[in-house]
Amino acid sequence: MYWHRMRPGLAAMLRGAIYTLGALGATASGAAEPVPAPTPSPTTTETTPTTIRRPPPAQIVADYTLTFPRDHGSHPDFRTEWWYVTGWLDTAAGETLGFQVTFFRTRPDAVDVANPSRFTPGQLVIAHAAISDPRHGRLWKAQRVARAGFGIVAADESDTQARLDDWHLQRQGERYETRIATGDFGFELVLARTQPPMLNGRAGFSQKGPQPQSASRYYSVPQLQVSGEILRQGRRETVRGSAWLDHEWSSAYLDADATGWDWIGINLDDGGALMAFRIRGRDGGTHWAGGTLRRADGTQQILHPEDVAFTPGRRWRSPRTGVEYPVEFAVRAGPLQLQLAPLMDDQESDTRGTTGAIYWEGAMEARQSGRRIGRGYLELTGYGAPLELPGADSAAAADPASLPASLPTSLK
Amino acid sequence: MTFRCWAQLTLAQWRDQPWRTLTTLLAIAVGVALAAAVWFVNTGALAEFGQATRRLVGESDLIVRGPARTGFDESLYPQLARLPGVETASPVLELEVALAERPGTLRLLGIDPFRAGQIQPTLFAELSGEFLDLFAPDAVFLSVAAAHKLGVQPGDRFDIRVGTGRRSLQVLGLLSDDAYPRSLGLMDIASAQWTLDRLGTLNRIDLRLSPGSSPAAIRARLAGLLPAGVQAIEPAIERDRAVSVTRAYRVNLNMLALVSLLTSAFLVFSTQSLSVLRRRTGLALLRALGLTRGELQRALFAEGIALGALGSVLGVLAGHLAAAWLLHRLDGDLGSGQLSVSAAALAPQPLAALAFVLLGTLAASAGAWAPAREAAHRAPAQALKAGDAEPALARLRGGRPGLALLALGALLACLPAIGGIPVFGYLAVAALLLGGVLLAPRVTATLLAHAPRSGHLVLDAGLAQLRGGVGLVTVGLAAVIVSFSLMVAMAIMVFSFRESFVHWLGEVLPADLQLRVAQGSDTGHLEPAQQQTLAALPDFSQVEFRRIVPLWLDPARPAITVIARDFVPGRGPAVLPLLYPVPTDPSLATGSSADAGTDTSTATAVTAAADPATDPSTAALPPLWISEAIVDLYGWQPGEAHELPFAGQRRRFRVAGVFRDYGRSNGALVIERAVYRRLSGDARASEASFWLAPNRSVTAAIETLRQALPGGRDLELLESTQVRELSLRAFDRAFLITYALEAVAVAIGLLGVALAASAAAVARRGEFALLRHVGMLRRQVLAMLAGEGLLTSLIGVIYGLLLGGVLSLVLVYVINRQSFNWSVEFAIPAGQLAAISATLVLAAALTAILSGRAAMSGETVRAVREDW
Amino acid sequence: MDPTARVVLRIENLVKRYRPERPPVLDGPSLTLHEGEYVAIMGESGVGKSTLLNLLAGLDRADAGRIEFDGVELGSLDDDAATLLRRRQMGFVFQAFHVLSYLTVAQNVALPLQLLDVAADQRETRVAAMLAAVGLGGQGDRHPRELSGGELQRVAIARALVHRPRLLLADEPTGNLDPRTAAVVLDLLRTQARNQAGAGILITHSLAAAETADRILVLDGHRLEPLAPVRDNSPRAPMPGAAR
Repeated sequence: MYWHRMRPGLAAMLRGAIYTLGALGATASGAAEPVPAPTPSPTTTETTPTTIRRPPPAQIVADYTLTFPRDHGSHPDFRTEWWYVTGWLDTAAGETLGFQVTFFRTRPDAVDVANPSRFTPGQLVIAHAAISDPRHGRLWKAQRVARAGFGIVAADESDTQARLDDWHLQRQGERYETRIATGDFGFELVLARTQPPMLNGRAGFSQKGPQPQSASRYYSVPQLQVSGEILRQGRRETVRGSAWLDHEWSSAYLDADATGWDWIGINLDDGGALMAFRIRGRDGGTHWAGGTLRRADGTQQILHPEDVAFTPGRRWRSPRTGVEYPVEFAVRAGPLQLQLAPLMDDQESDTRGTTGAIYWEGAMEARQSGRRIGRGYLELTGYGAPLELPGADSAAAADPASLPASLPTSLK
Repeated sequence: MTFRCWAQLTLAQWRDQPWRTLTTLLAIAVGVALAAAVWFVNTGALAEFGQATRRLVGESDLIVRGPARTGFDESLYPQLARLPGVETASPVLELEVALAERPGTLRLLGIDPFRAGQIQPTLFAELSGEFLDLFAPDAVFLSVAAAHKLGVQPGDRFDIRVGTGRRSLQVLGLLSDDAYPRSLGLMDIASAQWTLDRLGTLNRIDLRLSPGSSPAAIRARLAGLLPAGVQAIEPAIERDRAVSVTRAYRVNLNMLALVSLLTSAFLVFSTQSLSVLRRRTGLALLRALGLTRGELQRALFAEGIALGALGSVLGVLAGHLAAAWLLHRLDGDLGSGQLSVSAAALAPQPLAALAFVLLGTLAASAGAWAPAREAAHRAPAQALKAGDAEPALARLRGGRPGLALLALGALLACLPAIGGIPVFGYLAVAALLLGGVLLAPRVTATLLAHAPRSGHLVLDAGLAQLRGGVGLVTVGLAAVIVSFSLMVAMAIMVFSFRESFVHWLGEVLPADLQLRVAQGSDTGHLEPAQQQTLAALPDFSQVEFRRIVPLWLDPARPAITVIARDFVPGRGPAVLPLLYPVPTDPSLATGSSADAGTDTSTATAVTAAADPATDPSTAALPPLWISEAIVDLYGWQPGEAHELPFAGQRRRFRVAGVFRDYGRSNGALVIERAVYRRLSGDARASEASFWLAPNRSVTAAIETLRQALPGGRDLELLESTQVRELSLRAFDRAFLITYALEAVAVAIGLLGVALAASAAAVARRGEFALLRHVGMLRRQVLAMLAGEGLLTSLIGVIYGLLLGGVLSLVLVYVINRQSFNWSVEFAIPAGQLAAISATLVLAAALTAILSGRAAMSGETVRAVREDW
Repeated sequence: MDPTARVVLRIENLVKRYRPERPPVLDGPSLTLHEGEYVAIMGESGVGKSTLLNLLAGLDRADAGRIEFDGVELGSLDDDAATLLRRRQMGFVFQAFHVLSYLTVAQNVALPLQLLDVAADQRETRVAAMLAAVGLGGQGDRHPRELSGGELQRVAIARALVHRPRLLLADEPTGNLDPRTAAVVLDLLRTQARNQAGAGILITHSLAAAETADRILVLDGHRLEPLAPVRDNSPRAPMPGAAR
């Protein structure tokens, strides 16, 4: 198993990488540091300690028009970016599974771009994949991280083309294709688009907190039709299903007051789609909220903080970590009143041994008056301990181990 | 006989003779301790070495390596990463980096941590410090050993040398304590390429294959992909190679340590023989009381085993302590200069300890076997009579087996090495030694029989006594003959080597001044412009630059060294200590400078080799000189054409001659630098030799050189005489442990002589009393004893010298050559041998007198209760 | 002689030579020894007394003739069998005492019992009793070097008899002792041979010593001739040899 074989080393690496990801909160104020003039050679003799020569990342501004396919591609000037796919699968044998695959791109700060080496880690790519398997009662998962370069690890700027060795997620016209292979599970899926991208917030400008600079560029592609094969311990099966893709990038995000978040993305059975999130404050209440509702006729409604309410229902306590999660919710999102029911209770990811974070991320069904109206994914973070993100006061205070999966999704 | 009965008898007997028992125990203990200590140190060092290699090999299934200093183009990396069946490809730049301010180098590994973390996970476990800070171009993580060696802590900076300049690195943090046992620095691959001046190149790619892919299949695919000089190596080979570097040296040391064990065995033989002689009436009584022959033999044999086991246990404990001390004092480097480890490497080795207890017990049992047999087969009736004279030890006179063993030894010496280890050479030494010892009684008897009568009463009495007791004499001599002959052999070997080495140093250091940018470093070099600057200095009449690059001819063997050197006009390749230059070398006239090939007078030996003119295409190739090791290890011969990989291309050369190289036992090649520069594109230089212009002073020239270049103060500049001195000091240090081991062996041997002398003296108390009664003066008796001692040891010494001389031939011409792949001119350290011989003879005479005095003073005898 | 008494030792026509070119040391002596007998053998130096003793002990082999011990022909035994017979059935006393200097008195005496694997408690009892019998009661812990010659020979006698051998062989047991001590030792030897052993042979060149025996035979190199009994110490019948 890929993950196990690389355990001790990658843990440290991921922590480092995530720290970089997390550092996107650091300059949320947008204060740009002066850029030292690049010099052609590294620390030559008897110089003072090196200063890192890299311009600060770009900031999200409100007035920007997304253009495709360019904006399907990556935006390397921003600190972090991801293509996040979640969905439900039905096997020929009648099994129902959840799946998730994500490619992150992050732009480390501590890199001297004057270095002419082709190995200079201007961008890192992280990939994360999982299958929720209720029949086996387990979550199959794997992750990878590598520096972009040499054409073997990349997040292309022209279109959605993310590669990490033999894992990839790429757009081919109206379809996305993804391939994940690990020692004991994998999948090769085609995700066919049935609807145009759903721009979240104001034409893709997604506010994440009361302060205007806490924002991301964010669009979703709901109602993807999935077909392909999955592999579990050498057993290959044909699957069909539906999925959801998020593409989001930013350089600044969380307020210091946030402790965690609840997020949903649901493909409604009538062809509509709902994305909603709330960010929980230190008092446990809702710090910020938002979302997008696309109706079956294609019209969209922006959900403002006052339009969204998450009311926790049944709780489930993890036997492994002792952390208690509200695995059922009553959600009000604009005109919709939903009950959320998980595909299985135990979709917890305990990654303390590797990334340090414990979170719950899983497939769930949306019901109205007991009747299913859609299927999607729910993510719950910060329930074990307050999820701390590296803030302006930097890494020292933060647990750099926070989260590969949780942080990016938090932006939704 | 029950065990309890035996134990009671044996213990009582030991208690009764505590000194003799203790001495025997001590002798065994010392022998075992030496053998065990050397073994523990070697295996401790090796284990650490092996662990370090394993950590660097990590979980890779294949390691792609190119030449360390020149590397290969990084574009190979994506090619390999994309190869089907390759799960992870980890790009590496592995360099020995010269340190500023302090001597030595630091191994720096430029890696992509995201890749290397999957191949060498243990290196990254529990790093202190923030991992992503490693992306800073001057950032380095150090192993604990490296931080200790450099005296730095996280946050500190230290300087390294690149080219002739310096770069400053900052210590970000440390690897975990057990991540890597030796010195190592980790840098990001991008930083390493930039900071170490290696942009665009790698010298290693670690591959982990997908489950189910076969390394052999991937290797086959790689063969077509890898440029010349870049090889895909199996991890096992990688590990073995690291170990094989020092194998011959380690085997030599272990053999030497076994010698002390062997000497112990002979000492046990001596003491047990004498003890059995002393106790013959008691033993006969036991026989009379109804102890069967077999029971007696087993009892005596068991006594030897018990002594051996006890001594061995003591020895193993002492050996462990000695090893700890050695590791502490010498850093675990027993002189080879290639294994250097921390004291922490000494882990308890229960199996090895047990093995040494067994080995020591075995040696003691071997020593006790013959005396036990001898005693059991002696007729008890004889011994029970009063006044039983010394029985003959006829059984010990092994004339025919001795001769057979000598012949076998001579035969074994002619066989080749196995796997670089002169197995048959060592067996030959063992056979010759054993044969020599077996022949000793017969030779001694013959010598004594033909010794002239002096007409002097005292001397003749001594001689007669010796003649009567040849067995006793040789028993005492056995241990000393063994140790002394081995010492003689070693002394001759080391002396021969040293003489040849001195001669060689003179040949390879003809210039006045030697410059090295940084010894053993992959990053220190002179750029072409700097070379021009130096060459133009008015202080020198001539300057020769050399480029030293390691190269792999065979991935299973350590890298050989390619020396690309300018041939200074007027000197040509003659500065090489040539053994077999090919006569009438056309290339010297064409490829080299105009006057090359004019002077081969400094060649130590000139032997006609293969005729290069037979193949005109070969004759036109650029010349190549090879060291003896290349002949021995790779089978290359003068006149042949061979390929060398440069800049990814195979280039053909013609072997123009063989030279002697005591510096590099793994093999070295010399080519002309102009040729090297053209083929490799590498115009840098690693070393230079300077000939002073007339009327220039060395000190002024050195100062000029230091001023001439930036970073000139970091250059290693030495006068040739200093180089010579340093080299000889290093040489002597390498053989220090050898001398120490030998000295101990001889000391054990001398102990044997002392034991024999005192046992004999005590046994002859009656005789002394009689002689005194018939009117011999006390000092006359002592003189007689001294004479006996002199004569005995003289025989031993002469015999040892002869035997040692024979053994030294095997050491010099078989073991040395097969172990180190270089030839040595035979030379005899006459003065040294004479001094040791004299000391030994005098010591023996003195021992004889002392024990005689003790035997003659009745009170003393009572006090020591007939103990020696 | 008591015709019912069993024969312990029968010697017939013993021949022993050390060098083929020399005349034999023994040339045909014969002897029959019954249970309860204590016989002295006398002879000049060099007539082969010790040789005879060694042959009897199985320490050496005869060139011709027979030695029958309790009906067993010694010549038919190999070295180990002869040794085991010696261990069980014989006891020795030598002129040179041969007491092992590194063992205590008790340990020396216990040696034969140890060789015979007698249990430790039984061994101690027997050793103590035997030491008491030779007049060394309670001195078992002393070391041989603290003892006088007479005491040493007592130790040797105790050791020779502690395992109740069928035959006691004493070779010049008083050779190294002064006459006074010798008399005591000889008396002890005779008494204890009677008490502890089946039969005894005392080899000596001293007539005084020989006279402590039941009968005296003289070895002249060819035969064992009886010497007239000086006095009859036998509690049983008169000596058959004397009647002849």
